[in-house]
Amino acid sequence: MSKARLSLRPSTQGYVLLAPALIVYLLFAVYPMIDVIRMSFSAWNGLSPKAKFVGVANYRAILTQDPVFWGALWNTLIWTATAVIVPNLIAFGVALALNQNIPGRSSLRIIFYLPVIIASIAVATIWKWMYDPFFGLFNGLLTSWGLTGLIMDWLGDKRIALWSVFVAHVWQSVGFSMVLFLAGLQSVSTTLIEAARIDGAGRWGVFRYVMLPALVPTITVVFVLSLINSLKAFDIVYGMTGGGPAQSTQMLAMWAYTQSMQLGVFGRGAAVSVVLLMITLVVVIPYMRWMFKREDMGR
Amino acid sequence: MRMRNALAATLSVLAITAGLGLNSAAAEELKIWTLSFDNESANVAWQKIIKEFETANPDITISLENRSVDEHKAALRVAAQSSQGPDIFFMWAGLGLGGEFVNAGLSQPLDKYYDAYGWDKRLVGTAGSFSKIYEGGRHGVPYTFHGEGIYYNKALFEKAGITQLPATYDELKANAAKLKEAGIPAMTFGGTVNWHLMRLMDVILEAKCGAEKHDALMAMKVDWSTDACATASFQELNDWSQNYILSPFMGIDNSQSFNLFLAGRAAMMLEGDWLVSQLRNENRLADFDLFPFPTGTDRLYGFAEYLYVSSKSGKADAAAKFLDYMLSDTVQQDNLGAFGSISINSNVKYEKIDPLDQKWMDIFGKYTKIYMNGDQAFPLDVTTEYFRVINEVASGNIKPDAAGKAMQSFIANR
Repeated sequence: MSKARLSLRPSTQGYVLLAPALIVYLLFAVYPMIDVIRMSFSAWNGLSPKAKFVGVANYRAILTQDPVFWGALWNTLIWTATAVIVPNLIAFGVALALNQNIPGRSSLRIIFYLPVIIASIAVATIWKWMYDPFFGLFNGLLTSWGLTGLIMDWLGDKRIALWSVFVAHVWQSVGFSMVLFLAGLQSVSTTLIEAARIDGAGRWGVFRYVMLPALVPTITVVFVLSLINSLKAFDIVYGMTGGGPAQSTQMLAMWAYTQSMQLGVFGRGAAVSVVLLMITLVVVIPYMRWMFKREDMGR
Repeated sequence: MRMRNALAATLSVLAITAGLGLNSAAAEELKIWTLSFDNESANVAWQKIIKEFETANPDITISLENRSVDEHKAALRVAAQSSQGPDIFFMWAGLGLGGEFVNAGLSQPLDKYYDAYGWDKRLVGTAGSFSKIYEGGRHGVPYTFHGEGIYYNKALFEKAGITQLPATYDELKANAAKLKEAGIPAMTFGGTVNWHLMRLMDVILEAKCGAEKHDALMAMKVDWSTDACATASFQELNDWSQNYILSPFMGIDNSQSFNLFLAGRAAMMLEGDWLVSQLRNENRLADFDLFPFPTGTDRLYGFAEYLYVSSKSGKADAAAKFLDYMLSDTVQQDNLGAFGSISINSNVKYEKIDPLDQKWMDIFGKYTKIYMNGDQAFPLDVTTEYFRVINEVASGNIKPDAAGKAMQSFIANR
């Protein structure tokens, strides 16, 4: 009795296996991206049946007439720059500490990771209440410590509102980077560390010349993931300030959403999205090239 | 014979079952999209009305979807291109918010239902008049009709030595100064919801510019940058925010502002007639009183909320039947006070009402004209800029004359 055998060539098998994922990707990632680019050259209010082609008018409008766009762009860039540094430095320090054989290490790891699993909107609600100028935790503590001069309208003062939100973001995101750093630290060869110590390297020497070079791939991954997530910053800002006060915490991703879904100016919203996409690509393409180069070198 | 009877009985049962099945299949489901109202009495009343309507009309079932304000607007926009949207939807009346949906052809004219059900005979004239402002027929029916005025804490007014309610805007400012001298913040607002502070700007514009100029500014027919009353209004807003509003206010919302008002942290709050219901729920009616914001014009600050029938709905008759039920004397009488102080039905009897409700009745009786909230008068994009400029002025970040220029610049670039 002969058995039916699937005799596809390996390359064909690969395509067959890839097809479902590819279809989903094309439908839900590539097509919307192309459609957003098309929409950015159109005027559509989301209610009328057809969009009207307007050329580059939407880009001209957001770049020269929109009183919020440049502020949102600046906020996005400054947020991104600090978000790739501050939480990751804290996460790296925490990971180094929790990589030591200290009592309660597992519990501490869980505690630091917990904020990651809380939905951003819940994080926003928690912090919003802590920042409440009249009944919140921070102003309450400052009052009880006699530091009433430091009491602030944490989310209502445009000079500090963005940074108040940023603190909540740091609290939420440290755990994720910490886990990646921990994984990286645990993959550093103990043989190399011991060899370095035998050669006379101190704690700093081991860290600087053994651990840090071994952690470069992890650091790169953490850096790029933070960069991409920061550029897309939306939910925590939306939940805490909604872009206010006076649009001072507005971000590009949120402004694109506001333009499209709340103001019904889909063309301008799409143009903002395309600008954000371009900025992201400038960052992601060199990363992808570096990744592929590394993979090729590894073969 | 027995066999035949058994067969007949079986067929009868099958026929009835099939009939029930048919009835069930023919039962129309109406989808209603409305807000999650801050006033819990309104949410409870909706559930009760729907249950009673379904009992009286077993051929119609209703699914109610409630959303917050921004989510509701976004959901309606998404549904505009689909047939899965609501049959009846909530939206404010006026050319700004409601007008956008009507002008886009998403609401169907209800002229024939107004005639068939005789709605005009039972509607309060001012409330129903909004249905006539659109082109191409009458759109929507009134759900509520609201006035907004100043609620004040009687004890705090007394403490500040205020014995007479202000009849003019200047007298109101003088009272605010007296309160400040007594160490009492005059007014409370929540800045995170932009529309709350906007109310103060709206009433100042009415007071400083007068009815005609105010309307022209909202219709964007007058230059905001050159008109002196617009700059003067921004100046007044800045003065209120720096001297008379309970601070900080930009980081709190309207609910927190209400709690502070209840706690006696500020003397006044610019709110709608629905606040009476909230004060009643808190058992605090006796501590507060109210008066219309003194603007010097003969118009009341207020607006109407409407229920529109979607143009995508194929169940307009059933939708109209439900709306007729909502507007009926019985339903409006039974749920008096749940949606607002005043019913949109003119046949409703107001007996044994609370003094604050009576105050609103007197105010509604006194005024025949209204001026609308800025976010209902302006198109959405201009509203967003209006919010931004108001917040900047209130925070002291831009000067009053620059505020008018910012508004006009945005309007000119549209």
